[in-house]
Amino acid sequence: MIKNYIKIAWRNAIRQKQFTILNILGLSIGIATCFIIGLYVHSEMTYDTFHEKADRIYRVNQPNIWGDWDEMVSSTGPNVATALRADAPEFEEVTRLLSTGRQTIRANHNNKVNFYNESRYFAAEENVFDVFSFQFLQGDPKTALSEPLTMVMTKETAERYFGDDDPMGKTLEVKDYDGSWKTYTVQGIIAEVPYKSHLQFDMIVSLKSYSEMMDANGWKWIWTAFATYGLVKEGTDMKAFTDKIQAIPPKWAPPTTERIFNQTFDEFTAGHAWTLDLQPLREIYLSESPNFNVFGPSGNPMFVNIFGAIGILVLILSSINFMNLSTARSSKRAKEIGVRKVLGSKRKALIKQFVLESTLFVLAGTIIALVLVQVSLHTFNDIAEVQLALIPYLINPIFLGIVVLFILGLGLISGSYPAFYLSMFEPVETLKGKISNKFRGKGIRNGLVVFQFTISIALVICTLFVQKQLSYTSTLDIGFEKDNILQIHNIEQMGFDTESLKAKFASNSAFSKVGKSFGIPPNIWSGDRYKALGPENDVVQLRNVRAEEDYLDVLGVEFVAGGNFDSSRPNDKYKVILNEKAVKTLGWGSKEMYASDSPIGKIVALASGSEDEFEVLGVVKDFNFNSVHQEIGPLVIIHHQNDKVWDYGGGLSFYSMKLNPELVKSATDLQALVENVKDEIAQMDPSVPFEYSFMDQEFENTFESEQRMGVVLNIFTLMALIIACLGLFGLAAFTAEQRVKELSIRKVLGAKVSELAVLFSSEFAKLIGVSILLASPLAYFLVDEWLKGFAYRTPIDIWVFILAALCAVIITLLTVGFQTVKAASSNPIHNLRTE
Amino acid sequence: MLLNLKNISKWVHSGGQKVFLLKDINFWVNEGDFISIMGPSGSGKSTLLNVIGMLDDFNEGEYTFLDESVHTLKEKHRANLYKQYVGFVFQAYHLIDELTVKENLEMPLLYKKHSASERKSLVGDMLDRFNIVGKKDLFPAQLSGGQQQLVGVARALIASPKLILADEPTGNLNSKQGEEIMEIFTQLNKEGVTIIQVTHSEKNMAYGSRVINLLDGSIV
Repeated sequence: MIKNYIKIAWRNAIRQKQFTILNILGLSIGIATCFIIGLYVHSEMTYDTFHEKADRIYRVNQPNIWGDWDEMVSSTGPNVATALRADAPEFEEVTRLLSTGRQTIRANHNNKVNFYNESRYFAAEENVFDVFSFQFLQGDPKTALSEPLTMVMTKETAERYFGDDDPMGKTLEVKDYDGSWKTYTVQGIIAEVPYKSHLQFDMIVSLKSYSEMMDANGWKWIWTAFATYGLVKEGTDMKAFTDKIQAIPPKWAPPTTERIFNQTFDEFTAGHAWTLDLQPLREIYLSESPNFNVFGPSGNPMFVNIFGAIGILVLILSSINFMNLSTARSSKRAKEIGVRKVLGSKRKALIKQFVLESTLFVLAGTIIALVLVQVSLHTFNDIAEVQLALIPYLINPIFLGIVVLFILGLGLISGSYPAFYLSMFEPVETLKGKISNKFRGKGIRNGLVVFQFTISIALVICTLFVQKQLSYTSTLDIGFEKDNILQIHNIEQMGFDTESLKAKFASNSAFSKVGKSFGIPPNIWSGDRYKALGPENDVVQLRNVRAEEDYLDVLGVEFVAGGNFDSSRPNDKYKVILNEKAVKTLGWGSKEMYASDSPIGKIVALASGSEDEFEVLGVVKDFNFNSVHQEIGPLVIIHHQNDKVWDYGGGLSFYSMKLNPELVKSATDLQALVENVKDEIAQMDPSVPFEYSFMDQEFENTFESEQRMGVVLNIFTLMALIIACLGLFGLAAFTAEQRVKELSIRKVLGAKVSELAVLFSSEFAKLIGVSILLASPLAYFLVDEWLKGFAYRTPIDIWVFILAALCAVIITLLTVGFQTVKAASSNPIHNLRTE
Repeated sequence: MLLNLKNISKWVHSGGQKVFLLKDINFWVNEGDFISIMGPSGSGKSTLLNVIGMLDDFNEGEYTFLDESVHTLKEKHRANLYKQYVGFVFQAYHLIDELTVKENLEMPLLYKKHSASERKSLVGDMLDRFNIVGKKDLFPAQLSGGQQQLVGVARALIASPKLILADEPTGNLNSKQGEEIMEIFTQLNKEGVTIIQVTHSEKNMAYGSRVINLLDGSIV
């Protein structure tokens, strides 16, 4: 009997090729899209699971004590770890990583000295490999980092440095902050770091190499350059444990605050709670870690949610399609059902037959989908910048179980409706063909079409707004001219005085302006505690950047009060320039009040240990020194030669040059110019790695993940649209067939082809109209929510909705049009002759 | 006696009025009968045939089939009864388009759970008997109307029913094809199969041993 069912299913499929292809294709595209999204979401959600003790590893987070206390960050002082070792025996191990920033390294290989610039580099304590499981190819993980001036590196890095030579025991030199070189010995080689790791590195040096700095530095609780990780003992009650460690900062931190700030712990925290959070290792990647002390990639939970939702929606859409077309088609088989019943089939047997049939279709669709996934995954990986693979899942019994359940489930659902409905009829009626006339699935089918198009149109609207927001942010007025600015990095490695280099740049007529700064937008992150002079004023957090007067000319920022530094006035180096936001934050009122109460000449005082006072020299108009994701923050611009404040911006410095558009016209000109600058720097110090960037590109890059998401969203929206169109096309074909008799009669009675076409299309147009009405508020809500994450939002314009609606109507008419014309122009004689 | 209908009536309500499709039908059939039901269009021929075939309900009266009271049986039992003893032949043949001749013949046997070897021999017998061995792998669309009806009759016969109900079996055929089918019915009847046919044609009527004339739902 099963053979008979399969046979008839197969022959039906072959006989109605159009339906079969539409049906299986739509389903395959849907399943394939859903699989790809599923792989992506699964991959994002299983970061860091490769560590053997992953379930027991926690990262210790604390408030951002240098800024917003409500923000929990992974940056802790070095002594959080030592305090936990003393007071929290629940931790089997506590280890800390020191973020060291980019390093310049030189190494000798084959009698040639090579220079390297390493950014995937940090220092760690010797027990780091007792906590994390990275695969050692050579060396002993227990002892590799137990001595000062030792390091481990990945195999790839070792090959980069030492070629085919055995890297163990080899040495290389790392440039220290004071310009001297320190020699490190390679004590371990690690296999490539798994890509699904939030800790990414090429080399790790022993933390003991920094013991001098750690001992000398008195800021044990406020030197927040460390990330602290702990491995808890098995069976620890995490809630009680977390409660317990809250006692640690108030107990251990006061000596630091008293020594450094001359403040009690309570004065320092000013009412904020200095808490310690234990964040499970598996959650770190998707927790949107802030920009400090992260040693690798972080995921975006919003993307995971959005894509997960789209994946499920696309799957639902294609399943609906499948059901719709199956149901439509099965009514054509009423006669077969009648015959079967008369010949002795029980209802159960018919249900079995239909369910089996649709299950076979789903199976075919799933197999095609898996092939599609395998074929397109490479392209998707490139676009979304991920490394997904299907094969490992195909041998995973859980995945296969889900696939089998899916096939059976969808087969059952989509087969059961026609099966139950059609098998219910009396055979006499089905034989007489009465069913197709009174087949009542129409309401349900229309409902499903509306549902599909509501989702698709909403996705189209959302996609349009994502594109609109992205173009909006890239053309936003950020308060200065960011185009045509070339930035040269690593200037700090050439010493503090770089006037001779500047003179060289300035003599080049391709540059109209040249200026040095110790941070460049959109990456100005350093900040400190300040207050307006006077005991009654509050301590506030301000961002700061060191710059010379010419740098402000390069940016072209506008002064609203006072003026720029002037090198002819030696006292200017102890003055500061504020932005409007900083003036307001210090409590000196907004721009309208400057005339009566000018901030110029007022005093800003540091509130970080020293109490140095700085006179305000000028106020600049607010400009975006960070990405436009954020609102403009308060900023203090400090003279580059101000020696009363310690270094800001991680000790980095840059030269920025405004290009002269008259002389730099083409990409070739630019290339030549960059080569020229590279040579000039190499002549002065060949050990300085040459690195450059363009400011407008850096701003673009801050939207890289949104841009990538935008592209992926486009693809998925297109898929949803294709699926909906396939469904509509199939349904139009079916309706045309159903109504052919009615249309023929109308034609015989004198209707024109065009009138019939309008009659026929208008039914579908109505459905799309309803979909547009439903989709618009839905999309509005989603877009509104999404835009809330941005400081600068594109307006939610009505024309976008109209555009999407027009697209939907045009697509509908094109999809339905073919069937319309075919049905309306057929010869009525052929259609009216039957019976 | 194979079956007996006593005071059978069937009606529908139309515009608040009772419209009789069958009215007070009294009628019996012995095993081996060949009965023709005659009457103009709308006289209730097909309805009567469907009632006899237990495909359709009736509102009033008693129907006994092989000593079972059909009117007291549950739907499921009724269905079992006709599946076991009745074969149907339709005017429009009602073969399944996606199945070959052989597979169409095989279908009733599948539902009656015959074994594969039994099915093979029974189908073979039928193909032989109706001289359609050469057509066994063709699809209905590849056959002429007469050939299709031949397959329809063969299919009705394959499960050895006691009664064959034929609703205008020659209605879609030309006269030569029609004659062939009627010859086959006569032959079957001689072999002991009871046949009830609905027909318009006087010529076909002549093949039967008894005629029932219907007019507006009543026997005249």
